[in-house]
Amino acid sequence: MAVNTLSASVVQPRKSFGWGRFLGRFLIYFVLTLGLSFTLLPFVMMILSSFKTNVEALRVPPTFWPENFTLENYLKIFNDPQLPLLRFYGNSAFVAIFNVCSTLFTSSLIGYMFAKFEFPGKKILFGWFLTLMMIPTQITMIPSYLILAKLGLINSLWGLVIFSAVDAFGIFMMRQFCETLPTELLDAARIDGASEWQIYWRIVLPQLGAPLATLGILGFMGNWNAYLWPMIVLQKIEVRTLPVILTWFNSTHTGQPAVVMAATVLIVVPILIVFMFFQRWIVQGFTMTGFK
Amino acid sequence: MKQTLDRSRRRHSGLVISKRRFVASVTVPLLLYEALGIFVLAWAFVLMFFDYSPGRLGGPILGLGGSNPFVGLGNFIEMFSGDSVQAGLFRASLRNTLIFAVAVLPLNLAITLPLAWLLESIGNRFKALYRTIYFLPVLTSSVGVALIWMSMYDPQAGWINAIIRAFGGTPVAWLSDPRAGFAGVSVAMWAVIIAYLWQDYGYNMVIFIAALQGVPQELREAALIDGANSWQAFTRITLPLIRPTMLFVCVMTMLSSFQVFDIIQVMTNGGPNNQTQVLMLDIYKSAFRYQNMGWAAAESFVLFLIVMGVTLFQMRVLRTDWEY
Amino acid sequence: MKHKILALLMVLALALTACGGRTEQAGDEGVIVLRMWVHTNNAFIAGYEAAIAAYEAEHPNVDIQLENFDYELYLQTLQTAMPAGEEADILQLFGTWTSQYYERLAPVPPEVMTVEEAQQTFYAAPIGGFIVNGVLYGMPQEFNMEYGGVLVNKSLYEAAGLTYPPQWQTMDDVLADARALVQTDASGMMTVAGFHFTSADPTAFSFLAGIKQRGGDYWNADRTGFTFNTPEARAQLQWMVDAVNAGVVDPVVFNDETNFVIDAFFQGKVGIGYIGSWAIAEGQANFPDFADEWDYCYLPPFQGDPVFVADSGWGLTVSPNSPHQDIAWDFVKFVTTNPQIATQWNIASGTIPAMPVVAESPEIAAAMPWVPKALEILPYGQYLGNMPDRDLVVYEIIYPHILNTLQGVETVDQALQAIDTEANSTFR
Repeated sequence: MAVNTLSASVVQPRKSFGWGRFLGRFLIYFVLTLGLSFTLLPFVMMILSSFKTNVEALRVPPTFWPENFTLENYLKIFNDPQLPLLRFYGNSAFVAIFNVCSTLFTSSLIGYMFAKFEFPGKKILFGWFLTLMMIPTQITMIPSYLILAKLGLINSLWGLVIFSAVDAFGIFMMRQFCETLPTELLDAARIDGASEWQIYWRIVLPQLGAPLATLGILGFMGNWNAYLWPMIVLQKIEVRTLPVILTWFNSTHTGQPAVVMAATVLIVVPILIVFMFFQRWIVQGFTMTGFK
Repeated sequence: MKQTLDRSRRRHSGLVISKRRFVASVTVPLLLYEALGIFVLAWAFVLMFFDYSPGRLGGPILGLGGSNPFVGLGNFIEMFSGDSVQAGLFRASLRNTLIFAVAVLPLNLAITLPLAWLLESIGNRFKALYRTIYFLPVLTSSVGVALIWMSMYDPQAGWINAIIRAFGGTPVAWLSDPRAGFAGVSVAMWAVIIAYLWQDYGYNMVIFIAALQGVPQELREAALIDGANSWQAFTRITLPLIRPTMLFVCVMTMLSSFQVFDIIQVMTNGGPNNQTQVLMLDIYKSAFRYQNMGWAAAESFVLFLIVMGVTLFQMRVLRTDWEY
Repeated sequence: MKHKILALLMVLALALTACGGRTEQAGDEGVIVLRMWVHTNNAFIAGYEAAIAAYEAEHPNVDIQLENFDYELYLQTLQTAMPAGEEADILQLFGTWTSQYYERLAPVPPEVMTVEEAQQTFYAAPIGGFIVNGVLYGMPQEFNMEYGGVLVNKSLYEAAGLTYPPQWQTMDDVLADARALVQTDASGMMTVAGFHFTSADPTAFSFLAGIKQRGGDYWNADRTGFTFNTPEARAQLQWMVDAVNAGVVDPVVFNDETNFVIDAFFQGKVGIGYIGSWAIAEGQANFPDFADEWDYCYLPPFQGDPVFVADSGWGLTVSPNSPHQDIAWDFVKFVTTNPQIATQWNIASGTIPAMPVVAESPEIAAAMPWVPKALEILPYGQYLGNMPDRDLVVYEIIYPHILNTLQGVETVDQALQAIDTEANSTFR
């Protein structure tokens, strides 16, 4: 498809070059670039502000380019004993990786079972899953919190992962893919004496590589950027994840916009670069699933 | 002969057993987990009929009853006809949530569809770059987005007021002035809507681009050869073909804007004068700031009904579309 | 190889004897471990650590372990731990919280302190919060006073050509200074506020104090409801509106969310900043680079005597689930009522003492020069009263409606009517 459009657009201008067409092209690029600058400018502001001194960042009217290019904001953050950034990166990574691994495992296993096995009550169980998909988190948020409190898991990263081990949407998606797997392949393995778990692990899982990767990167992104639920569950500073720590940092550094912007850069930009590399999969996932 | 038949039957029954064992070993933990899910749902459902706060001792079962009394439909009656501060806040949040969702949807479509169409029509190596950049805000943590926009909206040192000053206008306290408004909606609400749109448009753009790529080029070219101009080709050919995507995008955008929380909580925390207090924020504050969890559960249920209504509406519309 | 094994054995043996020795010691003397929870405030924690060290020196068999939680969320931790019975033995408690938690708290045993003794020992405002339905549930350590105290920026005073230190006889003098201190930029936006009284606590507490000073009350006779729609409340709110109209502060740019008084003052954007004295420690910690000279003063009353209300203060209580309640109460009494310990705690935490004896001491005067200035008005402090939900009334009802009135989106009548209705609805 991409090749098709590409060749078409390369051929067309040659066929009918004219001022009207040129003007149209120009306008298209103009609008697109305008939108582009609007998208990019806030990022540029953030990065530039983080290199200003605090006095300069507060100046009216603001400067665009930092007058005295300084690293003091970054040094301040790195030397702040109250803000062990690596630790918060670790917390976020733990939650995201653990959740992704557990949901990938359960989604593929349960999806495979729904696709390839017959058992009584299957339809009811699956229907229940579909219902679960419709129920938004704000309904379950309060009782989940009360349960975590009863279990003593408030302020524990484990509290953030135990309720997310099963993902109804992931199961739904994996079931779709598992249905396309040839049943003969599985039966052949059975005849060869492979156990059911071996079949899942050695045959089914490798076939699901691409959809699992998509599901995984979407899940990772969702977990990494999650804010509301971690904010509720993680009340002690040292266990917080990055978005929660960023708002906390902002509220304790009012009047120091340059430092806050530096912290924002440090927390937002590294993972943004990683996500940019995976963008193709993320876009694919969005268009395929329609879910954020 | 008989022997082999036996063997195969035995092997067959062995296979059935191992299959059953596999299914059981997956479904039993799953059922337990689902039981927990049902328990959570049931708890959420029961909570909304109580005046429940975890700080109070309450009755023996889940702390319900006693000093956490049963109020029946009291929470819902209060929400829609009461004069308490919670009821006032709820009604303000409901109104603000509707304003937010109703403003976001057309603005989002007005930005994303043309941009996607333009981007799809240039088709060269810049396309990937453009798309990557348009998509950046979607990948950014919404807390980061909120902080970036807060610094832009700052009444003194912010860029937006700097531009206004440069043109000789009066600067505005975007996030804190309850008096200023535009088109009947407060500036603070517009401010968070713009930040939200900025973060969100890349998402719908990629969905539209994917849909536009699915439109056969030949159809469009045929229309152009038949004497239609580009605009006619777009409205007559492209638009009807991507209609399912349009509907899908509308519903998803509606749903997520009904549940907006992060950006608003960080940027305004509901202020000024509760003009940006949306339902999720009100639920969060009621439950976790004021420990008024029975009330918050009832509010969540109202939000759930709205979300459910939009989803069902979507299903109906999509189905008629398929039939057509 | 052999050496290594030998070395390992020796290390093991050493470790074993060390451990054994320690457990034996504990067994002999029976060390009692008490856990104590406080909210995170480094100044407070330093005070507690010194108090604990002093107590442990006198009672070598007691080991008190201090744990701290970030403030906003100390509240949530308490609320989740108390139903489960998992809270620490000794709890730091803000006086006004008592009326919400008393079901889960232990009354102070009469042999430790009776209600009458407590009322004689402490100022009325701080102890008031710890008494619910005539029962004492804890002991205060500080007098949390949101009324009357202001930060004053000397540099801005001198720049405006005003006499410093300020000589205020009436509130009109304050407003006159404030008008001279205001600065605006070319586009008319206020850049320096003269008198920033528009943060949540200052607004609410000067409103309540104004009602009292004008001879009114916001409680009904039997304290079962609020009366906010009174001539006294109207006069006070009108006074605030007039102050804003006189141009001493722009409540749109200077309020609780935007340019909060501590942040704004310590950036040189406020001439007179209305805030409790606890702000001094916080401002100094958060804005170490602030170069302007400043001072902390007290405002004259709106009218008559400087009567005001205060919502208690931080104090200590004991969990009813603690296995060693007697020792825990002994410790609480030691920390809160021993004048020496209380003095060092108040100095370390930068708070106004809850006991008159301590507040009047020369040590306090030397360490915190603003406390002697407050001594005159401290006895006028009354306890706020047990509200069903103090935060809701102050932060979601009184403050927002007053701010609306000051910003001109509500009239005085509308605001008083709304405050009265909404505040009374919290009793349901």
